[in-house]
Amino acid sequence: MNRLLAIALVVSLAGACGPKSMFRLTSDDNDRAAISTALAKRKLPEQATPINAARAPRMFVVQNGAPKTIVAYDLNAASVMWKMDADVQSRVWVGGDFILTLEGKQLVARDQKSGSPRWKVGIQGEFVGAAADRDRAYVTWREGTNAKPTWIIAGFDASSGKEAWRAPSEGELGAPSVHAGVVLSPFLRQWLYLVDGATGQQLARLRGIDEQISVVRVTSRASYFGSKQGVFALDARAASGKKTEATYGQVKIPPQLDRTSYGVDLYDNVQTGYTAADRARVLWASEPTESGPMKFTGDTYAVHYFRYVFGFDLAGELAWAYSNPRVELVASEHTGGAIVVISTQGDIVALDPKTGAVRQKKNLGLGAQVLGATIDADGWVPPGDGEKVETVAALVSIARDRDARFDRVKELAVSSLAKLPGGQVTKELLAVLSDKRAPQKLKDTVVEMLTKRKDPASLPVLATQLQVRADFIAKTEPESVGPVAKAIASLSGTKLDPKDVTLALAALQGHLDDPATQTPELVMVIRAMAAIGAGAERTVLGSHLLLYHADDDLGADNAWQTAIVTALDVHGGPGEKELLRQVAADPRTKPGLATTIKDALVND
Amino acid sequence: MVGLACALGGAVHAQPAEKAPPPASAAKQPAAKQPAAKQPKPKKGAKGAKVELAPTIAAINGASVDAAVKAAEALGASPEPAAHDALLDALAMGLPPTVAIVAVGALLQHPAPPDVTALKRYAGHRNPMVRSAAYGSLAMYPDPVARKALVAGLRDMTAAVRAAAAAAAAKGRVREAVEPLFELLARNEEPAAKALAAMADADLARKIGEQFGKVPEPILATTLGMVLKRTDFGPDPARVELVRAIGKMQDPKATAVLTEYVEATPKNPPRASRQEAQKMVEARVGGGGK
Repeated sequence: MNRLLAIALVVSLAGACGPKSMFRLTSDDNDRAAISTALAKRKLPEQATPINAARAPRMFVVQNGAPKTIVAYDLNAASVMWKMDADVQSRVWVGGDFILTLEGKQLVARDQKSGSPRWKVGIQGEFVGAAADRDRAYVTWREGTNAKPTWIIAGFDASSGKEAWRAPSEGELGAPSVHAGVVLSPFLRQWLYLVDGATGQQLARLRGIDEQISVVRVTSRASYFGSKQGVFALDARAASGKKTEATYGQVKIPPQLDRTSYGVDLYDNVQTGYTAADRARVLWASEPTESGPMKFTGDTYAVHYFRYVFGFDLAGELAWAYSNPRVELVASEHTGGAIVVISTQGDIVALDPKTGAVRQKKNLGLGAQVLGATIDADGWVPPGDGEKVETVAALVSIARDRDARFDRVKELAVSSLAKLPGGQVTKELLAVLSDKRAPQKLKDTVVEMLTKRKDPASLPVLATQLQVRADFIAKTEPESVGPVAKAIASLSGTKLDPKDVTLALAALQGHLDDPATQTPELVMVIRAMAAIGAGAERTVLGSHLLLYHADDDLGADNAWQTAIVTALDVHGGPGEKELLRQVAADPRTKPGLATTIKDALVND
Repeated sequence: MVGLACALGGAVHAQPAEKAPPPASAAKQPAAKQPAAKQPKPKKGAKGAKVELAPTIAAINGASVDAAVKAAEALGASPEPAAHDALLDALAMGLPPTVAIVAVGALLQHPAPPDVTALKRYAGHRNPMVRSAAYGSLAMYPDPVARKALVAGLRDMTAAVRAAAAAAAAKGRVREAVEPLFELLARNEEPAAKALAAMADADLARKIGEQFGKVPEPILATTLGMVLKRTDFGPDPARVELVRAIGKMQDPKATAVLTEYVEATPKNPPRASRQEAQKMVEARVGGGGK
């Protein structure tokens, strides 16, 4: 009996050890030769092209419903190829002549031409992710218990669904990706295994030294890996594992778009399906390079952020913006020649990556809400030059969006808008200030931007804004007098058209003399008049000082005292200084005002 | 200082009040030298006692508010053009609100066209009582500039100021104020009702009646009722028209107004307007009319 127990124990221990796994902590990391050899095994197309065997730009869309529907769409023909009801629980992975989805608890391969199921494989345990290339499907799942979990990656024949190989791991595996026959399997967030898709044998292993590896993006001719911080091109230089020695790219993402990532988080199970994370993506294409950092195609990149797409130059300056009307964009892809996006309403929009021009806009025409989509259109360039880019209109539309979720994006829009010259932009910024439903923080940003702009062309627009006066009968009240005056004051020292100055001074005087003007705004008005008046404002301001120098309310206000005295002292001539002296000597003058004047004139 | 003050629209007189009065300028010509059409009538009883100018001028520009108020009254009452000029000077140099209120009123004792510029300036003062006083004075000047400024006062955001402007418009019979007063009536402003009722002749009364449907019935009925009560309003066919205009209204206030009219008007001599009003009241309340 004891002997039997001993034998059983030995057998059990031997079974626990099992065959030696390729996924382990110690191995040859970042072997440049091995990596180069592995990459050379990829069968890359001469030109960027879709993954599917027909080389046709396609989109596979999952629509909401009971059950859900998979829709195959031909981008070139702008037509639906087929649609199939299916209990889709994942995103769609595109292979050569098939697509792959998790439907219920089964991995289902469907014929790409017809949508008919080709084979199904039951997934035991927890699904981690899948990938597909021309010949095979690859799946990773987790088995075992929380105390002793095992991750398994396996390859399946695309035609039959027959398991070709499998590899277990005691350490966590992320969702797989595949690039032309080479499977990329993240391991413990630190490593990326390059595995032969045909045999399941390890080809090479990369270790992230500067960053963890949680993101992989594959196009027809290039693949990238990295994290939320940035991405490495998967080339021989990636062997260094270091940003400085590899083809590394990191774009400037405005803080207002902080949810943006470079791709699906391969360790987040939720992201095996389409999620909100797909709506905040960096979109880019790159050129091969032998040295230096990643060379972004066209020296540009874009960010898809929910309803919007922003194009940037490499300095992080906004180059263009696209605002999708009303509904969010749920999926996006940079094909190299276009940025393709699809909205929840099925609008498929192709944008020029350099200019943001809308090169194509179609609709699926099926009505149901789109949950997500996989876009297989690498290299696709839609025909036509595209519509004129309406970046100002797009930014205005963003800034005035009612959706409170996007308040920070609105700040970005306003900041970007303010960098564009011209009176029209100023008008739009003022419209934000006039919008009673706009959040205060956004208005603060607008004020700051209006002040920073220093755009002389804005003066007539600012003056026009001041034309509106408090009127009980007309039911009008002036909007943003203080901020507008502040913006006018910021134009001091710029070259202004005298006609515009006259117009602005008249408008400012209207508020100076209007009893409805609040004191803080009045102070801004005085400063603005002094800043641009070049002397023409002195008489009016002198009269204003006299009218209120003995007033218990305004005359005793510190801010007003400083503003009016500064305006007449700094911007005035000998006559104004004499007036100030007279007022200071007047026994009725409010003491604070007299002191302010004396302090101002102390050196005269 | 002189240059600056002269530039202040002609209303600011350059010399500090303590100094000798400045030479008469065009802006400070006494009323007698202005075209007759622009001259408001002097206030009744404005004979004025002779004042010692220098100390009075010093007082109006002095630190004591009480003394300044008295000085403003004295300068206003004085028939001497120099006293009036001194008032304008003081206003130009800026007066505390309490003194300014008296000073703008004092101008009316011996009104002159240059007053309008000074009054207009104070009609924009941040203190509502100062504005109200300025509008009260502006109404007494036939100058179109004064009337325009007064009509602007009906648009003031402060109700008390609008009320003052409305009362002033009525007092000065400012026809340009009628349309804005209708607007205010439509917004249930009682002072507008009073002003319109005070200003109404037969023609304006008819126009008020035509506001039916545009103005809330209670205030419209009140306005027409106030016109009916005026002993100087007539002839009786005009009152009949008013009674009929009130009769169109279904609001209980209309019945109340007609009832008040019937009660306030003697039976004899018989008046068609009273009889018509009585019939309407009886029809509405089911008899019992007087």
